[in-house]
Amino acid sequence: MHEAWRFFLLFFGAAIVANILLIRFIALCPFFGVSNSLETSLGMSISVIFVMVMATSVSWLAWNYVLDPLEVGQFLYIPTFILVIASLVQFVEMVIKKTSPPLYRAMGIYLPLITTNCAVLAAATESVKPGFFTKLNIAYSYGFVEAVIYTLGVAVGFSVVLVIFAAMRERIDLAPVPKFFRGVPIAFIAAALFSLAFMGFAGMFGL
Amino acid sequence: MEKERTLWGEFIKGFITTNPLLVLMVGLCSSLAISTRVESCIFMGMAVIFVLTCSNIIISLIRNLIPDQIRIPIFIVVIASFVTIVDLTLKTIPAVYERLGVWIPLIVVNCIILARAEGYASSAKVSHAMMDGLGIGLGYTCVLLIMSVVRELFGTGKIVMFEHTIISLGTNKMPAILILFPGAFITFALLSALLQWYQQRRKPEIEGG
Repeated sequence: MHEAWRFFLLFFGAAIVANILLIRFIALCPFFGVSNSLETSLGMSISVIFVMVMATSVSWLAWNYVLDPLEVGQFLYIPTFILVIASLVQFVEMVIKKTSPPLYRAMGIYLPLITTNCAVLAAATESVKPGFFTKLNIAYSYGFVEAVIYTLGVAVGFSVVLVIFAAMRERIDLAPVPKFFRGVPIAFIAAALFSLAFMGFAGMFGL
Repeated sequence: MEKERTLWGEFIKGFITTNPLLVLMVGLCSSLAISTRVESCIFMGMAVIFVLTCSNIIISLIRNLIPDQIRIPIFIVVIASFVTIVDLTLKTIPAVYERLGVWIPLIVVNCIILARAEGYASSAKVSHAMMDGLGIGLGYTCVLLIMSVVRELFGTGKIVMFEHTIISLGTNKMPAILILFPGAFITFALLSALLQWYQQRRKPEIEGG
């Protein structure tokens, strides 16, 4: 029971309290680039959840069984992790292309874009090195299961906000907005209010 | 009709016409997260200028040797090497390293750098690629500095650099929202609106945008 509660806190903290988009500003480029329509943002979310969890698992194994024992971690972690992510994305792309062409067409351009999604690298890095939301990381003992749950939380937080924001932007497009605020500026104002709302979660469960 | 590209033109375009943050809309994440302190922005700007310029030069030098199919992994390896140099260098200044935190490794996936490598340096002369890297990097740093000055000055009432107060408004009753998370979005929205307003005033015949 105690263990389950700790996992829930880790998940909830990563997904909502320290939301990767609105509180930590990681991965804003896809946030503003892909959130034009609900459909594309859904495709992006699913691919990100999948790739992120896989990338963290492999990076965690690489760090704990190869880089750290050989004591080359601090020199090689950046190239290693980014290569892990890039090859995973390529691999996932090939598998999906073979097994399910309709899904491949639906995900299309978003799959390769995930390589440069900062959130994936951030989650992988933070699963082996302490991040800057220290409170989350105290609860965080760097076990494999915790790393995966943390990453799942990050990815779900990313997806939830991305999808809600896409739905909001579809409405904003129809709204009467001052001329020089159209497009990007009003999207940022909306994001500011959204972020203000998420700040309300700070301190929940003492996270 | 290709216009003659001058070195100065390649340098200066990063500030307004192809400013990475305001016009190309890439590399937003770090700019919003870092801009709470002017001091962090200076270090982040230097790191980005260094990585961008060096990777542009290297990629431009080897552009004829890279097979097309694996160009992205090669770009990423080049960029990751320079980011590791920055990572290990900044580690010698623990206070700064701690504050920049995860943003240093994240320079690897900073869209600005990969975008310039893919879209520009892989098809340009070395001298042009170098000036492009410097210009885009400085353009990024300028926007970063504007945002951080606004946020730190009006969010906390003073600007502190290296433990010295540079400018003080003489009060600490300031709207703290600017230094908090929503303030980053609002500051960027206002900057971006300002640019749109300027462009629409200059070219009134072109509607919308």
